[in-house]
Amino acid sequence: MNTSCTECGATLAVPNDAIAGELVSCKDCSQEYEVAEISNGNVLLKPAEQVGEDWGE
Amino acid sequence: MKVSITFDRLRWEEKALYEAAVAGGLEATLVDSKGLIFEVPQKHPELGDVVLQRCISHYRSSTLTLMLEGAGLEVINSYRVAETCSNKLATSIALANSRVPTPRTFLALTSEAAEEAAEKLGYPLVLKPFTGSWGRMVTVVRDRSTLQSLIEYKEELANPQEQHMYYLQEYVNRPPRDIRAIVAGDHIVACVHRIAPPGEWRTNVARGAVSKAFKPDSELKEVILKAADAVGGGILGVDAMEPESGYLVHEVNNTVEFKGAQSAVDADIPAQLIRYVSEEARR
Repeated sequence: MNTSCTECGATLAVPNDAIAGELVSCKDCSQEYEVAEISNGNVLLKPAEQVGEDWGE
Repeated sequence: MKVSITFDRLRWEEKALYEAAVAGGLEATLVDSKGLIFEVPQKHPELGDVVLQRCISHYRSSTLTLMLEGAGLEVINSYRVAETCSNKLATSIALANSRVPTPRTFLALTSEAAEEAAEKLGYPLVLKPFTGSWGRMVTVVRDRSTLQSLIEYKEELANPQEQHMYYLQEYVNRPPRDIRAIVAGDHIVACVHRIAPPGEWRTNVARGAVSKAFKPDSELKEVILKAADAVGGGILGVDAMEPESGYLVHEVNNTVEFKGAQSAVDADIPAQLIRYVSEEARR
């Protein structure tokens, strides 16, 4: 599934087996996205959360 | 049996756990915690029999666990374990009280007291944040003037605990590696050395450390399981060092990452973790 990067406009390829919640990043500008929804072969992305101070193990 | 795996960032680990749960015959659901809302004190049967908590954000994770336990659900790991592991001071206290060998540690509540504690501890020492992971802001302090500079920087932080309080620990002379054991209940699922990359003293996989499998001796096994028990048990990542004087446990992780360890061991880590979840839910 292809969509475009809202940051730089490059084509962003989302694997066909991707699931909601999964992360994808733009190969051109490294902007990270989260798969928000997949329906009928269309993928909706939203910007991924930024690393927080309390993130970790 | 139905298991919900709650997450806020879907990593390799969460997908592997989900696949292992399905392969193990469980009715598994990946639940994005970012979309959840709760009304206190409603029950949530849709989340099943047991929740495997995998949120990457500590505060989101522990708050959600508190809510889920309050709604009568069993959560792995429990709120008490999450709180003990996510605060390094709480972990140190739990380890020390259970007589698990751990590096000498001081708490100081002001910058002046931090300097005094540092003199008692001796340089070099390690200054760590109370909360945090992946080696973030963990600093070797080699002398008093460096500590004074760090204190000035810390006083600019927004978080009151990190701004005004100090967790200082003995610097342990060890090989450029540490030990990561992945524990489920009273079983050591995997044990690896984490070898620091060139130019880095910290051994976090997030900082480029490489994992290499090894077989723990009986003394290390005992220390690992005692450390896991000290914080309340569950699915945990126990980190230890191996100075000449004997093993020391310096951290126990509540939401253990295991991608690095899985690359080094034959054991099927997610399958064994899911087996533990399943057994716990049946109790």
